Amino acid sequence: MIEVRDVAKIHQSGETEVHALQGVSCHFPGQRFSFILGPSGSGKSTLLYLLGALDVPSAGEIFVQNRSLSTLNNNERDTYRREKVGFVFQNFNLLKNLNALENVLAPYLPLGVSTEQKKQAEELLKQVGLGHRITHRPSQLSGGEQQRVAIARALLKRPLLILADEPTGELDTKTGEEIFHCLRDMSEQYKTTVVIVTHDERYIRETDNILRLRDGKIAEEIVDQ
Amino acid sequence: MLKFAIRNLLSRSVRSLLCLMGLTIAIAGMVGLFSIAGGLEETVSQTFGRIKGIVAMQPGAPIPLFSRIPRSWGEEIGEISGIAIVNPEIWSRVNMIEDKPVISPPRFLFGTELPSRLQLKHGIYRDAIYDGRFLSLEDQGTLNTVVSRQIAEQHHKQVGDIISVNGQAMTIVGLYECGSMLLDVAIILDIDVVRDITRFDPNSVSCFYLEQSGEVNNDLLVKNIKDHFRGRELASWQPASLALANSSQSNILKDFVNAIDQSLKGSSDKTPVEDKANAKGKQNQSTDADAKIAESDQQQSALEVRSAADWGERLETFTADLDIFLGLMTGIGVLIAMLSIINTMLMSVMERIVDFGILKANGWSNRDVMLLITAESSLLGVFGGILGCILGLIAIVIVNWKFVNQVHLYASPGLLLFGVVFSTLLGISGGLYPAWWTTRMTPIDAIRRG
Repeated sequence: MIEVRDVAKIHQSGETEVHALQGVSCHFPGQRFSFILGPSGSGKSTLLYLLGALDVPSAGEIFVQNRSLSTLNNNERDTYRREKVGFVFQNFNLLKNLNALENVLAPYLPLGVSTEQKKQAEELLKQVGLGHRITHRPSQLSGGEQQRVAIARALLKRPLLILADEPTGELDTKTGEEIFHCLRDMSEQYKTTVVIVTHDERYIRETDNILRLRDGKIAEEIVDQ
Repeated sequence: MLKFAIRNLLSRSVRSLLCLMGLTIAIAGMVGLFSIAGGLEETVSQTFGRIKGIVAMQPGAPIPLFSRIPRSWGEEIGEISGIAIVNPEIWSRVNMIEDKPVISPPRFLFGTELPSRLQLKHGIYRDAIYDGRFLSLEDQGTLNTVVSRQIAEQHHKQVGDIISVNGQAMTIVGLYECGSMLLDVAIILDIDVVRDITRFDPNSVSCFYLEQSGEVNNDLLVKNIKDHFRGRELASWQPASLALANSSQSNILKDFVNAIDQSLKGSSDKTPVEDKANAKGKQNQSTDADAKIAESDQQQSALEVRSAADWGERLETFTADLDIFLGLMTGIGVLIAMLSIINTMLMSVMERIVDFGILKANGWSNRDVMLLITAESSLLGVFGGILGCILGLIAIVIVNWKFVNQVHLYASPGLLLFGVVFSTLLGISGGLYPAWWTTRMTPIDAIRRG
């Protein structure tokens, strides 16, 4: 489903060039769980954000459903992120001025939220176990609950792809397990492809795909077709 | 989106409040300053809207108080076709009322020839009597007077009371109220009594109030009168003569009249006729007031004839100039308010860079983010404008109530609407730079900042 071809990414840090990715080529099959592993600075988050069109590669191409992301103009990239991709971040990244329900609906605020979307958002929050917390603000929710809200936000658009960057990085083990359990259930239910960046290999199952990076290059790729 | 913008503002309530206050005060200041010109325009409209007739006076004199023309010209004017009544008037400044010096607001002794005054179809003061009566033929040669409500209330007088004006004990027989600061300043007496009290030149008057018969068009009538006196020589009024005409007490009045004079002269096409008496350094206007047939070929009219519309137009030019001055003063406040908005929004935007990154990651375009930020600054602008207008209005009401005789401020609905619209535009433009600033970063750069 996702084809990464010879992608490179160079960051400019002052006068120094940082080669975050160096000619990475890989494949992420659809409707499966894929993990990107590697030490800090290996380029895993950079690759994840390139998949989500949050950034553009310095070289190479990424194809999602056979369409190159580099051919998208700004509006198409916004639409791609709004309709096709759901993000789950390490530090939850909820908007503190909005309650749980509004955070789930945040992608649609500029376009206007329909009653149907609102119902779906409420249903999603119930599915992730937050039916009783929909009017609570992020500051009134625990870390695990905030991450569930983020998962519900990512799922509302029925995305093709969920990209999660260290989703359990700030959670205790038990809550981390609950979040992964939630992610797996929901992705199975919504037939979504999930790509997760993590240091923690405890949540990987045998059937999951693994891409291991080191110094911006692929060190190991295990793809279970 | 709007709800989101409101919540964002409320989440930084102190900063939003300070910004709102800055804008509110700037707009209130703007409303207050422009209400000065508005008040002047309204006073002019209230005043000259009541005056149906036309006034003949000395060329260049800003108001009848400073005008001197020969008394005998009244008969000549009366013979001009289209003139129904000629009413000679004498105006003089009052220095003392009830043994207290009169500085501000100014008061004037207004001497009017009663037989002709009583024949007027529209008598401004006569029609405005609300207590007692207007002067009658029996009041000729007496110290019976009619005063305004303002003057009566200021000195706690009513009909039948004695009021001391410039040391003369006058009996109040009537009270009037025109509702105009420019009209409700007169202490009305028989013309000969005022002449005696003020030692006014027996051969001169300040001006003639002329009531038209309606047979001749107003513009044509004015032209005919001017033509009739074209080529005659008359001492042209000079601002320096204020010193004599006004004793010495009111510099404020002098400055004000000088300003009006400059304004009126600026739009006047008349060249003052050389005054021989002034050239010799003499300031005795009574002798200069005698009319002489000019030998020169300049053919200037020796009479200035002004209709109410003419007065209004000329004073509008003055208020337009005043508007420029007030606009410059307002500009300073507005600039500070705008910088305050930019500062507030920029700080707010910098604090929320991560939020904008999250929104962009979820599909918000740069335009959407810019809209959110400008919506926030616009809300500050709208509410700042509304509060500023309310505050300005309250201040105007207080000033008008506290200084009822001295000042009249007026904020028209148009000015208030302008205040709100201007404030909103200020809010929008103040948010544009911070909004643009957010578009320079990719979503991931913004998120990583957090």
